[in-house]
Amino acid sequence: MKANPIAVLLVGLLAVAAAMPARAHGPLFSPAPETIFKGGTEVTLGFHTAKTTGGGDREKEYEAFVEAEYGLTADWEIGIEVPYTWKKSNGLDANGVGDIVLDTKYQFWRRDLPGAQYKAAAFFKTKLPTGDDGGQPRIGSGSTDVIGGLATGYESRRWYWFVSGLYRVNTEGAGGLEKGDRQFLNVVGGVRPVLTEYEEPDTVVMLELNWERAGRDDLNGAGLADTGGWELFLSPVVWWTYRQVAIRGGVQFPIAEGLNGNQATSDYRARLEFIYHF
Amino acid sequence: MNRIVRTTAFALSLLLLPLVAFAAPTQYQLQVDGLACPFCAYGIEKELNRTDGVENIRIDINAGTVTVTMAEGGTMTEAQASRIVEDAGFTLGGFEEVRAQASNKPE
Repeated sequence: MKANPIAVLLVGLLAVAAAMPARAHGPLFSPAPETIFKGGTEVTLGFHTAKTTGGGDREKEYEAFVEAEYGLTADWEIGIEVPYTWKKSNGLDANGVGDIVLDTKYQFWRRDLPGAQYKAAAFFKTKLPTGDDGGQPRIGSGSTDVIGGLATGYESRRWYWFVSGLYRVNTEGAGGLEKGDRQFLNVVGGVRPVLTEYEEPDTVVMLELNWERAGRDDLNGAGLADTGGWELFLSPVVWWTYRQVAIRGGVQFPIAEGLNGNQATSDYRARLEFIYHF
Repeated sequence: MNRIVRTTAFALSLLLLPLVAFAAPTQYQLQVDGLACPFCAYGIEKELNRTDGVENIRIDINAGTVTVTMAEGGTMTEAQASRIVEDAGFTLGGFEEVRAQASNKPE
């Protein structure tokens, strides 16, 4: 019997989580400055969906993913995210392992106060062309892309805020298509409505404002008119934790856009994650 | 004279008996700066549970304190506590040995 490589990977990632530490609350749709401490591992099982319509296109995507982070030191972590994607576009379906992402984050500043913490981190990600880019719709982009950015934030018993910025450099992928580079700016606020004790369920609600801008795509060196532009999302997020268990979920609603030409716009994006420490 | 000595010895033994029978365990109170949520505090619990001699941990998330009860004969230094708290991603803001409540049972 041949082992399913995805199942083997999932089991392996869960197995290395034996010394999993706790992490602080962070945004769901934007990066957080938290890092895992030395020797710690964190595994997240997540689900993401997105729908875009307009410009004669209609696309829906579902993605399940497993993410593992490992703390090289208390301030420096490395990680991997493996997605499995189902995509439906204009009546065509495809599914398979998507583009794997490798990432690293370094928390270069932290200030601890009684009941509160300020922190800032720099991060870098590489998206590998591991997804199938030969079918329609394409599961992978066929390009190796890099993402860099900074995130800072504040966490207290009652209040949270985070600010982050990212830049994504896309390279030429399948079919000679080079997606435009992307920029992201995020502002996040959060509150813990009820201050619970240590061994009680804890809830935190957050509201993210996510701005994304994309440059025009190039096809074999020629710019494509109906590509690029910006979108602004308002994203409510809920965290629920009980000791070492966390569930967080949220939805991104588009509230403004300035996309070039006639192209599909986002209807919504949603994300749900299960985090377990053991 | 013998009667006075015997009476004195008996009275002293009565006074010392509770100290022997109900010897209080050593406890330390750690003020942990940066401690803001229960989910994060679990990391400290894990780190302390891995530490030799730690018998019980009580976390007061709203006060930002962790009370550590040691097993009989166990001790903890401030440097050791500082390292544990740093490894969990926080800063040790205070460390003191506190008088444990007299009890003949672990918490």
